[in-house]
Amino acid sequence: MKSDQKQQSPIVAAHGVGKQVRTAAGVLTILSEIELAIAAGESVAIVGASGSGKSTLLGLLAGLDLPSSGRIELAGEFLNELDEDGRARLRGEQVGFVFQSFQLLPSLSALENVMLPLELAGIRDARSPAAALLERVGLAARLDHYPKQLSGGEQQRVAIARAFAMSPAVLFADEPTGNLDAATGERIISLLFELNAEQGTTLILVTHDNALADRCTRAIRLEAGRICA
Amino acid sequence: MTMANLLLSWRLLLRDWRAGELRILLSALIIAVTATTVIGFFSDRLQGAMVEQSAELLGGDLLLQSPREVAEPWLEQAQTLGLRHTRVLEFPSVVLHGEAMQLAGIKAVTADYPLRGQLRVALSPYGEELRETAIPAADEAWIEARLLALLEMELGDSLEFGSTRLQVTRVLTFEPSAGGGFFAMAPRVMVNQQALAAANVLQAGSRVSNHYLFAGGDQSLQAYQEWLRPQLEPSHRLLDIREGQPTVGAALERAEQYLGLASLVAVLLAGVAIAMGARRYAERHFDMAAIMRCLGAGQGRILGLFLPQLLCLGLIGSVIGVTLAWLAQFGLFYLLRDLLPATLPAAGWMPVWIGLASGLTVLAGFALPPVLRLRQVPALRVLRRELNPMPMSGWLVYGMAIIAMALLMWRYTGSAQLTLAVMGGAALALVSLGGLAALLLHLSRSLHRGVGVAWRYGINNLWRRPLLSISQILAFGLTLMAMALIALVRGDLINTWHTQLPPETHNHFVVNIQPDQREVFASFLAQREIVSSPLYPLVRGRLAEVAGEPLEARIQPGEEGAGAVYREMNLTWTDTLPENNRVTAGEWLGARADAMEVSMEEGLAQRLGVRLGDTLGFSFGGEMREVVVSSLRSVQWDSFQPNFFMIFPEAALHGKPATYMASFYLPPQGKTELGAMMRAFPALTIIDLDRMMEQVRGILEQVTLAVEFVLFFVLLAGFAVLYAALQASLEERLYEGALLRTLGGSRRQLRSGHLAEYGLLGALAGVLAALGAEIIAYILYTRVFDLNYQIQWEMWLWLPLLGAVLIGLAGYWGTRRVVAQSPLVVLRGL
Repeated sequence: MKSDQKQQSPIVAAHGVGKQVRTAAGVLTILSEIELAIAAGESVAIVGASGSGKSTLLGLLAGLDLPSSGRIELAGEFLNELDEDGRARLRGEQVGFVFQSFQLLPSLSALENVMLPLELAGIRDARSPAAALLERVGLAARLDHYPKQLSGGEQQRVAIARAFAMSPAVLFADEPTGNLDAATGERIISLLFELNAEQGTTLILVTHDNALADRCTRAIRLEAGRICA
Repeated sequence: MTMANLLLSWRLLLRDWRAGELRILLSALIIAVTATTVIGFFSDRLQGAMVEQSAELLGGDLLLQSPREVAEPWLEQAQTLGLRHTRVLEFPSVVLHGEAMQLAGIKAVTADYPLRGQLRVALSPYGEELRETAIPAADEAWIEARLLALLEMELGDSLEFGSTRLQVTRVLTFEPSAGGGFFAMAPRVMVNQQALAAANVLQAGSRVSNHYLFAGGDQSLQAYQEWLRPQLEPSHRLLDIREGQPTVGAALERAEQYLGLASLVAVLLAGVAIAMGARRYAERHFDMAAIMRCLGAGQGRILGLFLPQLLCLGLIGSVIGVTLAWLAQFGLFYLLRDLLPATLPAAGWMPVWIGLASGLTVLAGFALPPVLRLRQVPALRVLRRELNPMPMSGWLVYGMAIIAMALLMWRYTGSAQLTLAVMGGAALALVSLGGLAALLLHLSRSLHRGVGVAWRYGINNLWRRPLLSISQILAFGLTLMAMALIALVRGDLINTWHTQLPPETHNHFVVNIQPDQREVFASFLAQREIVSSPLYPLVRGRLAEVAGEPLEARIQPGEEGAGAVYREMNLTWTDTLPENNRVTAGEWLGARADAMEVSMEEGLAQRLGVRLGDTLGFSFGGEMREVVVSSLRSVQWDSFQPNFFMIFPEAALHGKPATYMASFYLPPQGKTELGAMMRAFPALTIIDLDRMMEQVRGILEQVTLAVEFVLFFVLLAGFAVLYAALQASLEERLYEGALLRTLGGSRRQLRSGHLAEYGLLGALAGVLAALGAEIIAYILYTRVFDLNYQIQWEMWLWLPLLGAVLIGLAGYWGTRRVVAQSPLVVLRGL
């Protein structure tokens, strides 16, 4: 299987990526010399201790931020060659997100939250695919509920439905079970992998949870900003 | 921008509305638009009413006085422009009843007289006043009550008028266009022009004054005046409402300035509330913008989604505001129906457009900069919530607000001077008060030693967020300042008006007192204990030269203000500065009775470009005399006492024929003294001013009401600011409150903390408000309203107190949710 993947060009790749930030105490290196390639359809866990740079790497791979050095390739395009609006377009077309803190818009109902990416893409009837997705994640009865009225697990299911609404090529998940109890977390993970399989999406997730990392095809371990062999 | 984008934008707006995100911004906007528009409607209609009343006094919208019949094309042009017109003849003539005879002012009218207003008559002397739509029949005369007394006749008797006899059928109590000049008025006899032929009183060379009255729409009047003015000769006088009735004109002008000022303050406050609301709106949409960035929306797209929402919000808020304002003005006029004229002019469309434009302008000036920040929200915020967009450049934020304010102010006041005074005062206040607020805040830190934990928490809250605290102190300070300013100016202006018209304001002018009658007349007044002004000599003379140049070099006939100098002026001498006069430059003549000097009214001096030390040449029947301008005076023209453009020392007018004049007060029940006066001094001309003063009082009462009404809206705008400021920090407070309570803080401690925080905030704002109000009031009083100003010491006490109580209680009430909600609900909701 590994030899099959090597023949395809990677959907996400990092070449010599480093990230430094300026702080009051001087320049702080968060990531250095990151080399990785993730093929389409893979599920990859990025693991490591707190402060090892996992979330920063996720943000860079997803094009939410630019590296200080090195190049990142996402769906065939080099991110540092695109301006912010170009990266936004690429995200809209190719990328889905699931966050630890769900990041639902409190002023929108569950259905409206899922409709949002479809509407941004100018899809005329956003309602039916959004409703179908919510039904798929088991929230058919809660379409008109606002995030406040939903439990943590339910909110994350809405976030997953939203992430899959545009059938993204790559799904980035940042500690998707971090705010949930073990049982709920388990159900969310199962849902994530089921949808991933159904849609053939590449899954890249950051987690502390070893059980979750084990369900991925491979894990990338970060220590102090570097990939451990 | 695509239709789909607009639709999405609209849907997002609807969702925000359902979720309650727009309430603050929309309510602040609605208050702003309602306040400004209702003021627009109110002053529009009130000014309309005042102008109508003034027109009623004039008998038309425009009056042309001419010693001869005017050329036919002048009247044809008026007709072409859609103006109605009528001609009234005025001339002096002797009327008789039996043995008694009297010089009367005859006014001959036609059926369409007056064009504005109505005649008022009584069926017995001093009887009940009735409105009259007709004019005297060809064989009738309507006369003033005092003429009945003078001629010892009764209604129904006949009056000899030239070679005919007219039956006196009405007592004339009020006639529009009495404005033939105060000095030309003898007791009035009104007749029909058809009676003139039979009377045969008008011969070639008779002194007839032709009064042409015109009425019509504003634009036609304007066009006609522009067309006519260049053709006028020196003997013509063209008077519109303001010029025709200087007293009413001055009151109108002040009313307009006042309403303009009050509306400015309401706009400014509403702007502050909107800025706060918009800031909160933008901050609450940072997450949405970040998520949209994640979901693929570019910067342009983000703006394309939020700007139409803002525009839509602006339109909705403006339309609601204008509608509410329209309803509110109906309610208001209904409440005031007994005090206002029976028929008010309908509200025009202008206030509606202005209201809509104001709403959008205020929103653009105050809400656009914070909303523009949404474009810059970094996508990475979804992972790191602390990432906020760069703050907007201060130039952009304040520049846009200042441009918006200046536009609105200029529109509302129509006066660059007033706009500059208020803008300058506000800018000065903002900069220096901002610094002062920081200083006060710093000083208040020392307060927190030696107070309980709750107070320490409250005070700490203030200086923990110094920028927010300073901006809140400024906002509340501005609100309090505006309220104080309105209350102060309102009280003072109205007091000034009322003291200018005290109960015993002189209500009669008497002219034509011969020099040898002076002593006798003065003792006549003294015996009857009639309050009067000094007797002023009147010498008729013409101003011919200014600083060696002919008058024409300084002002052209027909130019505005030329009327006062292109005819014989009433000149006087006295060594005592008359009441209601103030020397503004140079030194009063005083005891220099033999000097060849003159004291000149400052407004006229300004129009003619006359400075202290200039020489003026006066012509007295061809003989020239030169005097030096040794002082300038401000004159209170609406004082109802003899006022003069030029006052000389006695020597300067020596040897010129003079008659004397005075003003005096007669109570209503003392009017019969006039008969006795006329019998004792048959040659006197007495002018009754009661009617005009009643009109002025009526206008003042209306203005007072308008002012109080406007104050209400300023207050409303102030509360909008308070509400927006409370909402702006509510979430943070909810969170902190929940944390504190989790840590064992009691509700009482939290409440005291909030009370301390907002009370102190209010008190500091009050100190700032007192300072700002003093500065602006000083500028307004001395530069704009021309009144004396005194420091308002008591304001320094009650403003901080009022601020502490008002803002303390409002803060206490506004943060009750912080104390009432369970900490768990709050912490989970975040």
